[in-house]
Amino acid sequence: MRSTVVPVAWVTATCAAALLSACGSQSPPAAPSAAPSAAAAPEASNPYAALAKLPDWGGVWDVTFRPPQAGQAPPAEPKFTPPYQAQWDKYQALNKKQKGLNFVSEVASCIPPGLPQSMTQPYPMEFLFTPGRVTILIETEGLTRRIYTDGSPPPESPDPSFQGTSVGHWENDTLVVETSAILPETSPVNGINGHSDKLHISERMRLVDPNTLEITTTRTDPAVFVEPYTTKVDYKRHRDWKIMEYVCEQNNHDALDANGNAAFSLKHKPGE
Amino acid sequence: MKLRNWSLIAVICAVSLVLGHSAIAHHSTAMFEWGTEKTLSGTIERYEWTQPHTFIWIAVPGKQGKMREWGLEGMSPSWLGRRGWTLHSLNTGDKVAIVYYPLKDGRPGGFYVRVTAPDGKTLEALPTRNQ
Repeated sequence: MRSTVVPVAWVTATCAAALLSACGSQSPPAAPSAAPSAAAAPEASNPYAALAKLPDWGGVWDVTFRPPQAGQAPPAEPKFTPPYQAQWDKYQALNKKQKGLNFVSEVASCIPPGLPQSMTQPYPMEFLFTPGRVTILIETEGLTRRIYTDGSPPPESPDPSFQGTSVGHWENDTLVVETSAILPETSPVNGINGHSDKLHISERMRLVDPNTLEITTTRTDPAVFVEPYTTKVDYKRHRDWKIMEYVCEQNNHDALDANGNAAFSLKHKPGE
Repeated sequence: MKLRNWSLIAVICAVSLVLGHSAIAHHSTAMFEWGTEKTLSGTIERYEWTQPHTFIWIAVPGKQGKMREWGLEGMSPSWLGRRGWTLHSLNTGDKVAIVYYPLKDGRPGGFYVRVTAPDGKTLEALPTRNQ
């Protein structure tokens, strides 16, 4: 279904744009402005005008995990320091023993995922461009990432937060984002809980075809990784989707038990 | 074992490493017999179209005809809603057959995989091979 809906939406939008521009070319020329110099000045300083040069990242983006193609090297495993290697080995042993998802984290108890895990949730996200800012709205938990692209340096010692403190800049059509001050109790990679206050996330985001956004994410934290660990993930564009509300506390049956283990509650919602 | 088989295993491991994020990443599936399909039939008491998961409460006839309430968790409205489900896909009083992955601890609950509605239509509730 997805493979047909997207091109149709894209074709519709493209045709509509072509039609509008064709109509525009047949319109009578606009009346000359009474005071052209006065009118031009505010336009030149309008920070929104610069946004027209940015690539079109409109619509809603859904994460996809592209399996390695024939002949392509599989993604490398992270290289961990000994304490984190022990956690990883335990997780991998569990994966061999039982099917399904075996990574237990506080996200089950409605604690939001931190960066970078917030970017690979099974629900989509959207990008807003405003002057000096890119805002990412993530459906999961209704998370917001504010990426300052106005050239100002990152604050000196920001308070740690789930999504960290981000600055970014454009290298042609690639958005480069640097993030630090991520809460150390969050997960830097599936299978690992916790990291140091030195975790730094570098992301490169670009369109690799008209409806595929590729995000390359590099995690650096000497307490966890022996060397920086990089992953690459694709997002598919859905022009016809809308981001939905997501309040995790609404009806969560999966909060961890007192010992931090996966659990399942059969209690009814309050009021039922 | 032939080299070809080893490369196949390497690819499968790589895919599972990548896919580890996928599907219902809100929580682990350790409480379910994930992948073991069981079936039950009963009458829908309530369908909760809620985050982070939808939930089916269903009355299932037990021993000596005594009804027992089951609770089945499913994917979220965000996920299901973009794949053909709606708030009204299941309604109180509907008699349905449900394929589910059971809880490991034997309580009357699990995770629903697909539902066959009274009109005979089957709705998939988890990613299939074609998705």
